[in-house]
Amino acid sequence: MMNKTTKWILWAVMLAILVFYPSLFGIYYTNVFVIFAVFALYAITFNLLLGYTGLLSFGHAMYFGAGGYATALALTHIEGCPLLVALLIGFLASVVLALIICPIVVRVSGAAFAMLHLAFGQLMYVLALKFRNITGGEDGIGGFPIPPFDIPGVVSIDMADPLKFYYFAMAVLGMSIWILWFFTKTPFGQIMVSVRDNANRVDYMGFKVPQTKAVIYTFSGGFAGVAGSIYAMFQNLITADGALHILNSFSPILITMVGGVGSFFGPIWGSAIFGIIDELTTRYTERVELVMGVILIIVIMFFPGGFTGLLGFIKEKWFGKESDKAAMEEAS
Amino acid sequence: MDPTTAMYVEQGIHGLAYGMVLFLVASGLTIIFGMMGILNIAHAAFFMLSAYFCYQVMVWTGNFWLGLLVAPIAAGFVGVLVERFLLRKVHAYGHIGELILTVGVMLVIMEAVKVFWGTESLFVTRPQFLDKLVKMGGLEYPAYRLFVIGLTLVILGIMALLLYKTRLGMVVRAAVSDADMVNALGINVPLVFMFVFGVGTWLAGIAGVAIAPILTVFPGLADQMGLDAFIVVVVGGFGSLKGAFIVAIICGLLCSYGVQFVSQLAPVLMFIFMAVVLGFKPLGLFGERE
Repeated sequence: MMNKTTKWILWAVMLAILVFYPSLFGIYYTNVFVIFAVFALYAITFNLLLGYTGLLSFGHAMYFGAGGYATALALTHIEGCPLLVALLIGFLASVVLALIICPIVVRVSGAAFAMLHLAFGQLMYVLALKFRNITGGEDGIGGFPIPPFDIPGVVSIDMADPLKFYYFAMAVLGMSIWILWFFTKTPFGQIMVSVRDNANRVDYMGFKVPQTKAVIYTFSGGFAGVAGSIYAMFQNLITADGALHILNSFSPILITMVGGVGSFFGPIWGSAIFGIIDELTTRYTERVELVMGVILIIVIMFFPGGFTGLLGFIKEKWFGKESDKAAMEEAS
Repeated sequence: MDPTTAMYVEQGIHGLAYGMVLFLVASGLTIIFGMMGILNIAHAAFFMLSAYFCYQVMVWTGNFWLGLLVAPIAAGFVGVLVERFLLRKVHAYGHIGELILTVGVMLVIMEAVKVFWGTESLFVTRPQFLDKLVKMGGLEYPAYRLFVIGLTLVILGIMALLLYKTRLGMVVRAAVSDADMVNALGINVPLVFMFVFGVGTWLAGIAGVAIAPILTVFPGLADQMGLDAFIVVVVGGFGSLKGAFIVAIICGLLCSYGVQFVSQLAPVLMFIFMAVVLGFKPLGLFGERE
């Protein structure tokens, strides 16, 4: 199939696109791209649960929000908090939240898992609105200073510049996505898929199912926190309605379903598709969710594999036969 | 009667009225889940849709009773259409597909009402003779809430008769425990599914009309009710009607007394209740399966 050279060329092209994207498309579309990348990572962490482990969560926004709020709080209250420390705090806050919640949720699956998340997510939303003196209530936390990216003695980059923040965000998000991709390729990642396909059998084979789920769950939550953290820094604002609202729990579901559930890169496609739809529909109507709901219904009814499923189908139809023929010719 | 007791009783009536409405919504949800294995995320959206239908009927005719009759049936009809043309098609892809499909339906309904009716609060006036206080034993009750409690009890009675005393109810109960077997016995289970889905959304629709004069009709109407109904179904046990009834009443009282005594904690009281129950009984109070 694809040999090593073409693979490297593809990577190089992708990297070049990422590097030159801002100068090609201008600052507005650069900002759109950052949001796309944030939601791509967010949806990938969600897909780790739904697509790989078979756990449907209706409250993934709480990890996104926890990361965002933790970073915002750290930058507001800790004097001279370095950028990477703030990011780490966002990550750790989500990990801690996941560790608190996972003993309750890993014992159940299916609808009960989804509903528990709906309830916990809504609990977080209400708490964020109620603890006004910490979270700022409806106003959220905003206007916190964005520190420069600082490695003492080596480099100091001002992050207030959107262009430089773009590169920083791309580096962090890209790295996170790579780590998660690597994670799915480990033997542990294989167990993850087996839990989805047949949890009882995994149990018989001597692997501990609840503990396995807990590890994946914590991973997924933590990196959703990274996405939230970058989102908070990018917007310089985090609000309960923007980050913790139930619609924000539904958006990774939409993105994953449209992109292709179970495929690692599906959510990236999905996020891109939704970014484009969002750009196009907001010009004509305020009811973006209506369009998204209709798209979701159509996708589930007619293309359950999502965009990647559609790609695979097209590939099979147009290129599959020729390769079959070639294989047969070789065999004879 | 001294004022403190009067206050307790009054809050009790409020809680009972809310609990009853909650039960109407949750009962549909739990029957649909028990029978089809679908957790209908869009359920509360049907509840809201019916409230909007009622408003529309009021605008056209000005008759609340007509709204109470027509709006839930219209909502139930929309529910039937959703089941017949959407849910049934994705049945083959498993429960998660169905669950996510109902999310899509919810988004569409929630946004569609904004397109048709705007985002402001719309007022539904209650009938004249219910718009007063009933004096009884030295206490004053709002007549409309008493009416809501009465209406719910009547519907509950009809449902119980239908479910436990008729052949149709027998088929439904059998399909709840084993749909495949009932299908093998020659009963048209998909048709029964469609019927049950329609009745479930019809029940939610009645709740929507009942609550419309109290809370007014606005796009956020479904948020609180939907969440509360899900908590009721989770805590009561998926598919258990008895559990839904008991927990709905508890939740209604918890809400109204919670606002009275611990107003700071009131919004999270339900979640604490749920967490405590699920901590001891992961399947809910009366649940037998996940």
